[in-house]
Parts: sequence; C-alpha cells; structure tokens
Amino acid sequence: MSKNPEIKAVGTAFQSGSRAGENFVWLTSMGLAIGLTLVTSLLALILWEGLTVFWPQRVAVFQLVDGSTAGIAGKTTLAGEVVDYRTKVNHVIGKAFEQEYQLFVGNKDTYGFNFKFVDANAIKSKEYLNDYIVAERLENGRLIGVPVAIAMKDGSTIPANSPEFAHKLEEMVTGYNAQRAKILRIEKYRIGDINYEMEGLRLQEKGVRRRAAGDKAKEEAGLAPIREREAQLKKEYEVLAAEAKALRDGLVGNNLVLRLAGGEEYRQPIGAMLEFYYPNQLGFFGKVSMFFHRMWNFVSQDPREANTEGGIFPAIFGTFVMTLLMSVAVTPFGVIAAVYLREYAKQGVVVQLVRISVNNLAGVPSIVYGVFGLGFFVYFVGGNIDHWFFYESLPTPTVGTGGIMWAALTLSLLTLPVVIVATEEALAAVSRGTREAALACGASKWQTIQRVVLPSAAPGILTGLILAMARGAGEVAPLMLVGVVKLAPSLPLDTTFPFIHPERKFMHLGFHIYDLGFQSPDAEAAKPMVFATTLLLITLVVVLNLGAIMIRNHLRKKYAAGTF
Amino acid sequence: MSESNVPSASDSPSSPAPKRERKPTPARFLVSPVTLWIDFLMTWVIKVGGIGVIVAVIGIMVFITWQVLPLFSGASIQPHDEVKMTMPNPAVVGMDEWGELPFAYDGDRTFEFYDAHGKNPPQKVTIALPEGEKVTATRYFPEKYSLVIATDKGNVGQIKVRYDAEYKDGRRTVVGRAELGTLEPLIDLPAEAAAEANPATASPAPAPGTPAPATPGSETPAAPAPAPTPATAAVAAQTSTKITVIDRGAGESNALVGAILKVGEKRELRAITFKAKRSIRGAGKMTLDQRYDLTGQLKAAPAQLLVPSTADALIVADDSGQVSYFFQDGDKFELRQSFQPFADSTGSKAIARMDFIFGDVSIVFSGENGQSRVFSLCIPAENNPEQKRIFALTKEFPPLAGPATFFASSQRNKAFLTGSGKQASLRYTTTETIRWEKNLDFDIRQGIIGAKYENLAFLDASNVLHVYELHDPHPEAGFNAFFGKLWYEGLAGPEYSYQSTGGTDEFEPKLSLIPLIWGSIKGTLCALIFAVPIALTAAIYTSQFLDPNLKRIVKPTMEIMASLPSVVLGFLAALWVAPRVADRVPSLLLILVLITLCPLLFGWIWNKIPKIYRLWMRPGWEWSLMLPLLVVLCVIGWNLGPYFEEIAFVYVDPNTGQRYADFGLWWKHTTGGGYDQRNSMVVGFMMGFAVIPIIFTIAEDSLSNVPAGLRSASLALGATRWQTAWEVVLPIASAGIFSALMIGLGRAVGETMIVVMATGNTPLMDFNLFSGMRTLSANIAVELPEAPQFSTHYRVLFLGALLLFLLTFVVNTLAEFLRNHLREKYKGI
Repeated sequence: MSKNPEIKAVGTAFQSGSRAGENFVWLTSMGLAIGLTLVTSLLALILWEGLTVFWPQRVAVFQLVDGSTAGIAGKTTLAGEVVDYRTKVNHVIGKAFEQEYQLFVGNKDTYGFNFKFVDANAIKSKEYLNDYIVAERLENGRLIGVPVAIAMKDGSTIPANSPEFAHKLEEMVTGYNAQRAKILRIEKYRIGDINYEMEGLRLQEKGVRRRAAGDKAKEEAGLAPIREREAQLKKEYEVLAAEAKALRDGLVGNNLVLRLAGGEEYRQPIGAMLEFYYPNQLGFFGKVSMFFHRMWNFVSQDPREANTEGGIFPAIFGTFVMTLLMSVAVTPFGVIAAVYLREYAKQGVVVQLVRISVNNLAGVPSIVYGVFGLGFFVYFVGGNIDHWFFYESLPTPTVGTGGIMWAALTLSLLTLPVVIVATEEALAAVSRGTREAALACGASKWQTIQRVVLPSAAPGILTGLILAMARGAGEVAPLMLVGVVKLAPSLPLDTTFPFIHPERKFMHLGFHIYDLGFQSPDAEAAKPMVFATTLLLITLVVVLNLGAIMIRNHLRKKYAAGTF
Repeated sequence: MSESNVPSASDSPSSPAPKRERKPTPARFLVSPVTLWIDFLMTWVIKVGGIGVIVAVIGIMVFITWQVLPLFSGASIQPHDEVKMTMPNPAVVGMDEWGELPFAYDGDRTFEFYDAHGKNPPQKVTIALPEGEKVTATRYFPEKYSLVIATDKGNVGQIKVRYDAEYKDGRRTVVGRAELGTLEPLIDLPAEAAAEANPATASPAPAPGTPAPATPGSETPAAPAPAPTPATAAVAAQTSTKITVIDRGAGESNALVGAILKVGEKRELRAITFKAKRSIRGAGKMTLDQRYDLTGQLKAAPAQLLVPSTADALIVADDSGQVSYFFQDGDKFELRQSFQPFADSTGSKAIARMDFIFGDVSIVFSGENGQSRVFSLCIPAENNPEQKRIFALTKEFPPLAGPATFFASSQRNKAFLTGSGKQASLRYTTTETIRWEKNLDFDIRQGIIGAKYENLAFLDASNVLHVYELHDPHPEAGFNAFFGKLWYEGLAGPEYSYQSTGGTDEFEPKLSLIPLIWGSIKGTLCALIFAVPIALTAAIYTSQFLDPNLKRIVKPTMEIMASLPSVVLGFLAALWVAPRVADRVPSLLLILVLITLCPLLFGWIWNKIPKIYRLWMRPGWEWSLMLPLLVVLCVIGWNLGPYFEEIAFVYVDPNTGQRYADFGLWWKHTTGGGYDQRNSMVVGFMMGFAVIPIIFTIAEDSLSNVPAGLRSASLALGATRWQTAWEVVLPIASAGIFSALMIGLGRAVGETMIVVMATGNTPLMDFNLFSGMRTLSANIAVELPEAPQFSTHYRVLFLGALLLFLLTFVVNTLAEFLRNHLREKYKGI
C-alpha cells in the first residue's frame, strides 16, 4: 500500500511547470484547514471555558465617575469578578463603538441579580483590594464583600482585623459543614430508609385489604403485624427527626458581618456558608490548589440551587450506571447476532439484505429509538409488568414509567447495529486458515468459534463496544423520553435493599447540559456549570473514541503483520 | 468436557486408523458427547438468538407502525341497547355521559328518564311550570344538560337536567332530575291587532318594522326591565302570538336571548341582552340590560335562529335562504353580514337546518336538496375591506339524500351527526371527512352524540331509541389532516398548520405534518449548504493531495468531531454561537466570501512566484499555509463586518430619519421575514459539525478506494494533480460521494438536540434563513413526554417518528446500494 510512486509522480508534474488547477488544490486545502480548525477550536473552546470555571478569579473593585448611574442602587463603588470585556454593539451610524465590562457581582439576595454590565467610560479606577472575601453559600450563590466581624450567638464579636479572625471563621465553617453532613446522613439515609419501608408497608396493607375482600377478621389478622411494624418505625422516625432538628438548630445564631462594595452592611449566617477565600490574596499555588479543590467538589458533590451550583455527582453516576447497563445488554445480543450472520446463516441475498438493514439502522435517528422505547418498553412492557406484579401501587406506575433500565435497553437497541457491524467486521477479518486449522484439529464448530475466532476477534468487538458506549453516553434525545430527569432524589444504586433499583429515574450528563442551559431560571449564572459539565462529557466521549481508534490502529498493524 | 477432544486431535495423525475398517473406533477417538451436545445447543442458541435479535431490531418499525395505524381507521359502530320510549313524540331526547339513562322531554312540562338496560321502570319528572302556562319553544344544550324554554306568556326560563348518583343497598343507581329555574318575563308578546293598528302605543318595545337599529324606546337602558303589564300579557295570551324559536347564549359577563315571534301571519325577531354586575367576587348575577327588535333589518321572515355562547351575536336564517349575522356593538346590533349559503343552488335556496359545531364558531347549513356546507367565522383576506370577523364557506360535505332531518354536534370535538330519512352520517368538520355513514333500517327522527363521544343514539318513528356504541378514538386524524391544506376555524384560509394542544376545550387541534417536514428539510438544507463544500473539499484534499503520513492523524481528528454529542453542539449553538453571531451576520458574510476567494487568489499568486521559492513547500502541506491564512481572514472579516454593514445593510427609520446599520432590521424591512437570534443559519452551522465528519469520512474512503492505477496512468500521461483528481478520480468516486451526501442528509434530518436547542421551535413554513423552525425530530422530543398514551397526539408523534424512520432508512439503503455498486464496478481494476 505504499504510495511513494504516486507522490513522486505528483512532484514531477508539479516541478515540470504544468500547474493547471493548482489554485483549486489550494481551495481544497482550505476545506481541510477549515475542518481541522472547526474541530480544534471547538475542543479548545470547551476546554478553556470548562477549565476556567474552576480557576479562582480576582475580585476587581471599580470606582465609577462621580454621579454615574451605572452602579448598583446609585452607589459608585462596584466589586466583582470580571467575566467579559467587550465591544458594545451599536447600530446607529456615526456613533463610536464603546467598550463594556460584564461583572459577576454575586450577592444575589441583596442585588437581585448576579451579573452587571458597566460601560468602560463610566469607570474612574479599577483596583484589586486584598480584604475582599468570596464565600460559597448554600443559597443565593456567592457572596462578595469585605468582612467586618463575626457576631457570635452570645453577643460577642471578633473583629476582622484581629489575628484570630480568619482562623476562627475557618474553624466554624468546617465545623458547620461536618454538622450538615451529619444531618444529611440522618435525613437522607436513615429517615429515607424508614420512609422506604413505610411505603412498602402501605402497599402490603392495600394488598391485604384486597385479598381479604371484605372479610373483617381476615383483614384484621393480616393488618396486625403491619400496624405493629408501622408503630415501631414511627417511633424510630421521631427519635431521628428530633436528633436532626437539634443539629439543625445548632447551625443558626453565628453571623459573619460584611460590608458590600457599596457600603451596605450584610449579615451572613455562618451555618449557611460552605467555604470562603480571599481571592486577591491567593498566590499562584493557592490558586492551583483552589482550582483542584473546586474541580473535586464539582465531580463529587450533589447539585444545589436548581442545579446551578454545587456538583454533578449524581449525573456522572447516572451516566456511568446507564452506560454500564447498556453495555451489559448490548454485548451478548450484538455478538450473538453477528456470529449468527457471519458463521451460521447461509450467505445469500436474504442475509445480505439483513446486513444492509442492520447497517442502516445505525443511521436511523436516535429519537426514533426513544419513541420506540417509550411505546414498547415503558408503556407496553412496563405497563403489563405493573399490572401483573405491582397491582397494589396502581394507578401510580412502578415500572410503567421511565427508568434507568428502560433507558439502558433503549440505548442498547440504538447501539446494537454499531456492535453487530463491528463484530461482523472483526469476525470477517479472522483468516480462513485459522478457522480451518482449528477444525482440522478436530474442534467442533462452536469450539472453533469459542476458542479461536472470538478471541482473535475480541479487540474488534471491543472497538465496537467502546464506540457504542461513546455513542450511548452522549445521546440525550431518546433519554428524554424514557426516564432521565433533571433532579433524581436517589441514585439507581445505593445501600437500600435491593441495592440496584432499575425502575428509578436518573440524572445524565447530557441531559444536565440541556436542562441547565435551557430550563434553568438564570441561564447566565448556569453557564459555567454547563461548560464544566460539557467538558466532562466531551472528555468522556473523546477518551472512549480515542481508545477505540487506538485499538483499531493496533489491530490493523497486527493483521497487516500476521499473514497466515 | 472438551479435554477429550485435545488428545484425540493430537493423537489422530499418529494412529494408522483406516486399515481395520470393521472394528469400531476406539472410544478415545470419539468426540465426547458433551462436546457434540454443547455444539448442538450453541448452534440453536445462536440461531435463535441471532434471528431473534434481527427480528427484534426490525420489529421496531413494525411496532411503531402498529401504534400509528389506528389513526387511519374510520369510526365503527356497534348496536348496544334499544330503549322504548313511552312518551309519544318527544320534543327533545338526551342522554347522560354513560349512555345509561336517556331522557325524553315532551316539549311542555314532563320529562321521562329511561333505564337503557330496561331494568327499572321509567322515572317521570314534572317541572314546576305555573298552571295554565304552556311552553311554546325550547332549545336543548347537550353540553350543559340544560334547556331554555319560552312560554306562551312571554316568559323565558332554563331547565337543568341533572344526573345524580345515589347509593342504595351498596349499589350505585343514577337518578335523573329536571329542575326549572326562575321564569323571567322577557318578551312582551304584542297583541296582534294592537300591534298592527297602533304601533306607537301598544307596548314599550318598538313596533315591528321600526327602522334599524332597533333600540328600546328610551335612550337609557331599562335596567330593571319593565315587566309586561298584566293587561298586555292577557291580551297576548288571547291572540295567536307566540314564541316559536328561542335560543340563549351566556358568556362570562353577558348573556343574550334571541327569539322569533309569530305574530299572526308575521314573524318578528327579538333580542334581549343581559349584563352581569361586576363585584369583587367575580361576575355576579345577570340582570336584564336591553331589548331589541331586529325584524326591520331582515328582508324576509325569520325562520331559524342561533346565539353563540359568546352571547354577542345572532345568526338568523330567513325563509328566502338568506342568513343575517347580527353583531352586538356596544348597545346596538349591527347587521355585519348577510349571505346565502346555497346561492349557487339551482333548486330551492332555503335552509333546512342550521346548527353550531362545538365551539360555536362554525355553522353547518343543510339545504333543501341535502347539501351540507360549513361556514366559519374568520377574517377573510378577500372581499373584506374592513377586516371584520365574518362567516365564510370553509367546508363542503357530500350532500345527504334529502334535507337534514336531525342534527347533533359532538361535545368533545368538531364531529357532527346528521342525516335524512334512514340515512345517518357522522362527519368531522376540520378534516371535511365522513367518519361513518349508513342507511339504518328505520326512519330517524332525532340523533344524539354521547357526551364522551363514545355512543350515538337514534330515535325512530315508533319512539324506540337505538343506542350504538361508537368507537372512533381519532376522528381528527386522517391523511387529510396530516398532509392536506385545511381551513381551520378562525384562520383566513386553508393552511398547513401544526398546533397540537390548546388552552380551551373547544380548541381544534391542527395536525398537519407539512410544517414539520418543511422544518426538517430546511434544517437539513442549511446544514448541507454549510457542510458539503467543507467536507468535500477536505475529502478531496485529504485523499488526493495530503501527505499520506498526515492522513493517519487527520482522519481520526475529523472522526472525533463525529462523536461530539449533539447536546453539546446544541448548547454551544444556542448559548455561545447564537448570541455572538446575532449582530455579526455581515462579518460572517464577509468571512465566507474571503475564505472562498482568497485561497484561489493565493494559489494563483503562488503559481506566479519563482519556482525556487515554491519548491520550498512540500506538496501535501498546502493546508499548513492555509491555517494561518484562515485565522487572518477570519479576524479581518470579523472586524470589517460592522463597516461592511454600514455600507450594505443600512435601514433608515422612516419616522425619525435615523440611519441604522443593522442587518436584522434591514433584513426585516427588505425581505419582510423575521430575524431571530436562534435561526436556521446557526442551526445549519452547528449541524455542520455533526454532518461534516460523516460526509468527509465516507467521501474520503470512496476517493481513496479509486484504483491507484487510474491515478498513476493519468499522472503519467501528463495530467496535473488537479486534473487527475477532477477529471479522473472524482467521476469514478461520484457514486460514493453521492452516498456520502445521502448519509449526511440522513443524519441531519434526524438530528434532534441541536434543533431543539438552537431554534425557536415554531412550526413555520418560510424560506427565511434567519427565522427558526420546528423539525419532526424536535417536535417529538418536545411534545411526546406530555402526550397522553394512545391519544391522537401521541399517535401523531409516532407517525412523525415513522416518517423519520422510513426517510432515513430509505436514504441510507439507497446510499448503501450505490456504494456496493461502486465497489463491484471497480473490483477488477
């Protein structure tokens, strides 16, 4: 497959001075340049926008020119992170183009907004003052201001200029964070378990009543143990609820007193602070450690405030579990179908037609699979299962509604053609000699396939599977129909019996992007989160694809070298 | 299990087996039965599994088709019950929601409720009508289970029919009740003689024949209506004057009663308006506002009358077949329109019946010859200089056998039941189709459509009510509805329109898929216009000119682009590209021109420079010069854009004379089309990311697969590399390139997330590059989660999915055949 002679020929023609159409060659080279630029700039954009989300920005303090109305509530001092500096669009002919700043001013509860645009020519001075603090809070986004003092519950205060201030604040925030984690453990896991069991009891009760069919004695006998357990659970619940309440009460009382940029005083309950830092005091290494700290929080925490703050752990987990379930479903069926088509079926027109059809199914829009998944899996299969096994909880559907299992099955149908085609190609690449050698050694057909053909085709099958996973992980449209939600209360895999909950709805990275970008109340504030999520999803998909490409290239080399 | 096999395989060559033939093969040479058994089992597992998987995959289409099919079936009707009505000649028959307890009303004071299953005897209910008063006119409103009646004393009242569930001995029984509300003396019946002899003094209401607009005698509204004096009432009772037709409509804050009076041989038209007193707790009780006599505005004697539920108009048909549409404008009735529904009829132009369709916007007129026409309120563009809302002929149904003898409109949708003699016909207004038609074995006197549109009933001449079960889950569907141009209520003309859900019960779903298909086509075209030039030029360059060592990097890089999740592209399109590009269209146009022309210019100049410099550039590396050039051109184009805009796209405000260099404004005023931030151009650009790599990969493959000999031969004969590529390679690979385009098209047609996110999702039908659209796929993604299972809406979305499936499947199969054809053709070379 060497192309050297051609290249030489091209070179000769080129050197000989005949250059007809040479400018068109340049035009086509522009096509490639555009294509490459598109890919690289898109990836670079996502990388840049996604990573800068985690990088702590400095807080700039702007002094506006006297009498300017560009500030907030008539004040002439503004503090915030500079998000953008751009040329203002101006359509009136004859007016000069002006520049403006976009600032992230935070303090949404005080200002009513997060972002503020300020004309560059309204600004008198810009400086980075060291005493500014940025605090992450449970609600209302970030807080930007100058700390004044800590007002303790008992009335004492610790002024910000006292040496122990930062240390004390740090200690309190850490303490409260631990306390909140404890509350979460109680409320989510222990009380959650009780609720789960109570729900089960309620269904049992319904079942007993239905089976008793009006027979009072039978009904009473059936209900007695349920009532007993219910009372017990209720008692447990009350103890836990009291414990949680005590912890919760301990969170309030201590406030951080700040002065906002405009001079307004603001009291922030320390119990609602997650962390704080002095952005303008951070050195490079401080920023780097902050960067990784934030990145870790992003991938490990639950989302807060309608998904616009906090992390995306449930979405990562949901995507992972769904993709895994999908792979488990798609691999055996895909491989069996391919083995049948390649090894067992009589090669002829029919098999050729089937092959083309299967191939073309890969080009059918994903939404069509979603429609099928909703109609068949969710309504038809799920509806019937509900009727047979979960009659008690009807009309509330148990599996007759979207869930992670249906999503995984739908996506496995979607990716089935990919796996079948890849496996078939891999099987076809196993040389005839290898097969015949195995058969000549007395192996049965299945033994040949099992021990010789499939192992040598395994890397090819793996490539197909990885491609399928990449496609499945990035697909959103069908999932919207079969069980993805913007906020799932619980994970599809947890510590509550029976541990795997295939009927649960789940969160997904791709849907998270859609939801944040389009359904969130403040799209601008959600943007950093969307970019970070996008970066994660893209990384996942690109890594999977690169893996597949590398395996494929490796295989090519192997087959090119080994001739039988 | 298979251990036995390994030694046997290795042993076999060493044993001189075939010499002693009679002797049975030693056991160690036999294949273990377990092996055979597993082999047999696996063969079947794989065969069954393989065929099963393939059937399942292909079953997707079967399942979706199965879900769609009910949309195209007509109505079916099953006889259910027969109820013998003991009341002779009932004036009104009606039925409850479940079809269990139909009732008959004798047109005076008696109601009878019949058990449809014949288990209980009929219940007789008498309404509390004062002694000596007789009902002369009634009208039944099935959707409200109420009747309005007018008595011979000029009193008007409402009867409410109620169905109450009662539990007796643990069994649920339905009890029918009928209650008469307060009778109001609304219409003064003029004494025939007095009216004719002395118009001025006979009654407070103006005499018949008073010129229009007829308002009450005094200018100030007679707020508490002056009740007719006993004297007049007494006189009226003695004469032959009576109310023959009555109708009532009630809106939120107003009501209107219309009546036709028979005064001797003459007929008069009256209207009485009511107003609700506004109070803090919403609309209060209706009180009489004004009385009108509209007879003078009619050319012939009024025969039929309709009052819509908006209570702001009267539609009157007279003996000559003329229909007058009176509209209440402030405190007078304006004759807004006068038309003859059957003006073109050769025979009688008279109107046998006229009835509202559910929603009171359309009227079905039945002619004496059985014609059936629907007129709807709309603002037609033609013959309507004042742009008023008037009636226009919107639908024409096939004629009935004779004049319509009965009529019933559905209370769920736009269906109506009509017929003549034995013939019964269930028709659907929107789609202009006959859902069901049959000649029954009896003469039909009245017809009923059940409240849930689940049963029909016909009353025959011998007073037997025949109840039928109606199975017509999707009356609004049909080929016409999906692909035809329909005149929907309220629109100015027939349109392709898609609007599946609305706010009110009377909403008429518009299910045309044409706007969605158009949206899909538009999005696809935009994507292809952007993607094809880039993908093809890149493919040609990569396969023909690029340094082969680089190809190994370039191809996977482009393939990475194919794997980018479309939700990411959609998000970038909507939140990153669209806002940045919205004001920069001129910049983009400039960049487009620059990057097409500059490489050509660059190549031309390059050829002019001395060979010694040119040789410095290795062939196959041209793109590395293009990259910086591209960046430079983009920067130049982007920054020159606003200046270009000031030259080319200037909009002058006609009022202030202010000049704006704004492409959006300019576009709006020059082309008349809208300019949205999230428009087709943005979609096309972003969808290009999804389509470029697909087209690139397949086209590049087919270009590379052109036999090397052909290229070498061409080059050897002295053709330049471009000539070889253009004249030799490209024609041979054309089928493959075509198939690449088709697969790219298939991908673009089905693309969902980009379109959902980067367009406004409005189902428009225009050629505007700067407006949004709604594609089939986006429509499914947006609407299916909200569509109730098995509703028409749900099945229509499945139909959309089926169309997408078929479209992409056909396109892909065609592409596959082309590619195979190409492969076969050049196999030998």
